[in-house]
Amino acid sequence: MTTATVSRWDRFRESFFWYSFKRDKVAIASFLVLLAMVLAAVFAPLLAPADPYDLAQINIMNSELPPVGLDGADPAFPLGTDAQGRDLLSTILYGTRVSLMIGFGAVVLQAALGILFGLLAGYLGGKVDAILMRIADVQLSFSTLMVAIIVGAVFKASFGNLMFGEIAIYMLIFIIGVAEWPQIARTVRASVLAEKKKEYVDAAKVMGFGTPRIMFRHILPNTLSPIFVIATVQIANAIISEAALSFLGLGMPETQPSLGSLIKSGFDYIQSGSWWITLIPGLVLVVLVLVINLLGDWLRDVMNPRLYKG
Amino acid sequence: MALLEVKNLDVRFAVRGGDLTALRRISFSLDKGERLGLVGESGAGKSVAAFSILNLIAKPGYIAGGQILFEGKDLAAMSERELRKIRGNRIAMIFQDPMMTLNPVLTIGTQMVEAILAHRKISKKEARAIALDRLQKVQIPSPEKRLDQYPHELSGGMRQRVIIAIALLLDPEIIIADEPTTALDVTIQAEIMDLLLNLCEQENVALMLITHDLGVVSQVTQRMLVMYSGRIIEQGPTREIINDARHPYTQGLINALPQMGEPGARLFQIPGSMPSLKNVPSGCPFHPRCNFATDQCKRAMPEYVRSGNVDVACYEVANLIEQEKRMQEAES
Amino acid sequence: MLAFLVQRISQALLVMFVISIIAFAIQDGLGDPLQEMVGMSVSAEEREAIREELGLNDPFLVQYLRFAGNAIQGDLGNSYFYSKPALEVIAEHLPATLELVIGASLIIIFLSVPIGVYAAIRPQAWLSKFFMGVSTVGISIPVFLTAIVLIQLFSIGVTVNWFPADTGWGQWLNDFFTTEGGLPSYGRGDDLVHLFGTWESGLFTSEGLAHLVLPCVSLASIMLPLFIRLIRAEMMEVLQSDYIRYARAKGLSAGRINFLHALKNTMLPVITVGGVQIGIMVAYTILTETVFQWPGLGLMFLEAITRSDIPLIVAYLMVVGLIFVVTNTLVDLIYGLVNPTVKLTGKKA
Repeated sequence: MTTATVSRWDRFRESFFWYSFKRDKVAIASFLVLLAMVLAAVFAPLLAPADPYDLAQINIMNSELPPVGLDGADPAFPLGTDAQGRDLLSTILYGTRVSLMIGFGAVVLQAALGILFGLLAGYLGGKVDAILMRIADVQLSFSTLMVAIIVGAVFKASFGNLMFGEIAIYMLIFIIGVAEWPQIARTVRASVLAEKKKEYVDAAKVMGFGTPRIMFRHILPNTLSPIFVIATVQIANAIISEAALSFLGLGMPETQPSLGSLIKSGFDYIQSGSWWITLIPGLVLVVLVLVINLLGDWLRDVMNPRLYKG
Repeated sequence: MALLEVKNLDVRFAVRGGDLTALRRISFSLDKGERLGLVGESGAGKSVAAFSILNLIAKPGYIAGGQILFEGKDLAAMSERELRKIRGNRIAMIFQDPMMTLNPVLTIGTQMVEAILAHRKISKKEARAIALDRLQKVQIPSPEKRLDQYPHELSGGMRQRVIIAIALLLDPEIIIADEPTTALDVTIQAEIMDLLLNLCEQENVALMLITHDLGVVSQVTQRMLVMYSGRIIEQGPTREIINDARHPYTQGLINALPQMGEPGARLFQIPGSMPSLKNVPSGCPFHPRCNFATDQCKRAMPEYVRSGNVDVACYEVANLIEQEKRMQEAES
Repeated sequence: MLAFLVQRISQALLVMFVISIIAFAIQDGLGDPLQEMVGMSVSAEEREAIREELGLNDPFLVQYLRFAGNAIQGDLGNSYFYSKPALEVIAEHLPATLELVIGASLIIIFLSVPIGVYAAIRPQAWLSKFFMGVSTVGISIPVFLTAIVLIQLFSIGVTVNWFPADTGWGQWLNDFFTTEGGLPSYGRGDDLVHLFGTWESGLFTSEGLAHLVLPCVSLASIMLPLFIRLIRAEMMEVLQSDYIRYARAKGLSAGRINFLHALKNTMLPVITVGGVQIGIMVAYTILTETVFQWPGLGLMFLEAITRSDIPLIVAYLMVVGLIFVVTNTLVDLIYGLVNPTVKLTGKKA
């Protein structure tokens, strides 16, 4: 058992993947920053000085305190407090957690939809392909953000504010996942079309394997690297989409804030000089999205897959 | 003085992990109105040699040393500005694939007129008249109409005619043609080649013909160079080389020609393949494929020796000449 | 040409049909017009009678056909909030959004083309690397955050006193990072010029233009990095091609090669992608208009959502759908006209 893991570890260390990672300072830095942010988000309940969901810990007298280093700061709140008197550091830790959850969740959903539809369209071809890709085209030309806003608006109107707030995380995962599936579907389809021509698929057919088996067991594994690359970038996009929806009031409620809703709630106080409530979560969001995008760029260079161009 | 004289030209590719040598110490000359053939397998550096004359090598290639003397002036040392006055004007080029050579979004007329206006201070109307005249020279049907057409509206053969017409626009001294018929249908290859040769003869233009087709070279050129792995291994009068090739590689090339063999006989094949730039063998680069290779061949690149009117870089040939000399001395 | 037009228009009609079904389904599923029209006091029987009279009990298809028929005649119902035809409300808000989009597009075109081309021609220059770095970061900044930072810097202003003010350089650095602010960040201003119909323009007065600056820059900021990267990538690919090398072999000047031979081929794919991006820009106007309280379609739509103004939401969807379809068709048409290798049959030759 141990020998197997050791040899796998050795193989990984000798791989081109690891080699090019070691050489790329930007990739290493991005990975470390991302790792730190993910860990901080996962262990937010342990790390955060206060629990922003606990109303009893909040004192309105502490509202709009600036971060340490500015006049009037309170050392108990290193990044200051928001308009309700919540500790900004804690809310940001919890907010990052929410943003990351939605980002990962939405990408898992869109990957599932995108892989399924992409495989079907690419492998079956013909009418199925035409219809699925037509839908993808229309949805993309409408822009994924627009689709997400519309679906979000409809949901919010049909569920009502309170109800929507309670299930907002799942709603957002659903909305963003559904809005963004064409991206992955087109990439999968492109790689399937390329794979389909190869001999091993004919061989599998000759051996009498059924269509689903050929699609999932034979073709899919060979299309994974482009999916992996695009999924990375899509996490960044999903986090931005979530932030945009929350900023519009179609996302996470203020009681359970994501980075986007923190920015939104802080924006109302920017004119009164409390810039930190909106700009510090904003900075965290940008860093989070930037490091994911940089890792995505690096992955694309390393794996050099046939990404759908367009 | 030769019209074009290339001396010890070195071309390298700057890649990560050091430079790769694409051309090593290339020397040859081209006289006015002469037809020179440049042969070799793909990867031998023929195209690099062709493009380096006008300093048009694609990055990361660069000229690392040597001279390219055109009418006594060194093209390798010229500024881009001075070079531009020669490109297309004094020395014209014909590229391999006519499908890729013409800009798809500009009309034939635009692409011809701009070439004239880049070098002559005349009106567009006069330039158009010249363009029309050259299109007539290359025997394109309804030339007037072609001027306003886009490249994709023309067939491959017609496009190559257009490109020959463009090469002739400014009455150049030299035309460098890089495999001008390779990308065309076999049926029209001869037609285009004849057209090119006739026009060069008519206008007294020197032609440097790059090709892997020894048959064409043997028929149409006066002198030829044989390249292998970035080096010229044999050069001299075409007839002399074809009739009595010295270098084992050239011999192999000639034996590989179908018409030279017996009908029904199996074609000769040189065993192995051209080394890539990344791992050029030591000494004579041909030694791993050569039947006559000795330890000497692995150590250093042979110098040129003269045999008749031919220059050859081969120890075996040098040894033979040496032996002959000694025998002659012994006789006398 | 005719075949191309027919094909494109039939495609556009199909898309509009799908959008209208979605819009109608939203209207049908969400709104109960009765709630808006009658009070609580009306009895169940009376409600049922009104429903019957209004045709609300008809089958889905019949109701949809009625909806579609009205829509074609330009009747998308009345906005609950504004108490006037929804299309009229949209017509009032459209000019503000159009001016925003036009302003942002101008910024994008006039910056992305030169920067993208420069970065492609001189990929090793430090300025190119700087632009590419900035655009990587730019892609990662959501549009509303750019807007907020711009407001902080140029509307509110920032006073910096991090550096020792008693030294010359400290004072200089403080001054350097301190911004004045003062640019308007709310609405379109009062000094609008009436053009025609419902078009009140901010393009002709200094106050109107000043109000346009920050929203346009914000909206442009989201698309600019994408366009720069796209133009650079396409241009670099074109510069590798044989016909560019051939153009050099003809002795053409670098200017003619880069700006005629290369740029024309570069712009073809950029036109296609750019057309799609215009659609995406409409989505981003919702965010931009929210931040700047810009009285355009996006803000109107968001307010309609909070007010559950169903007819207005539906009308917005229909109009935005129409805008997408029209721009996409126009883009294809322009592409066909610019690219000689496309015979306007909708297929590549």
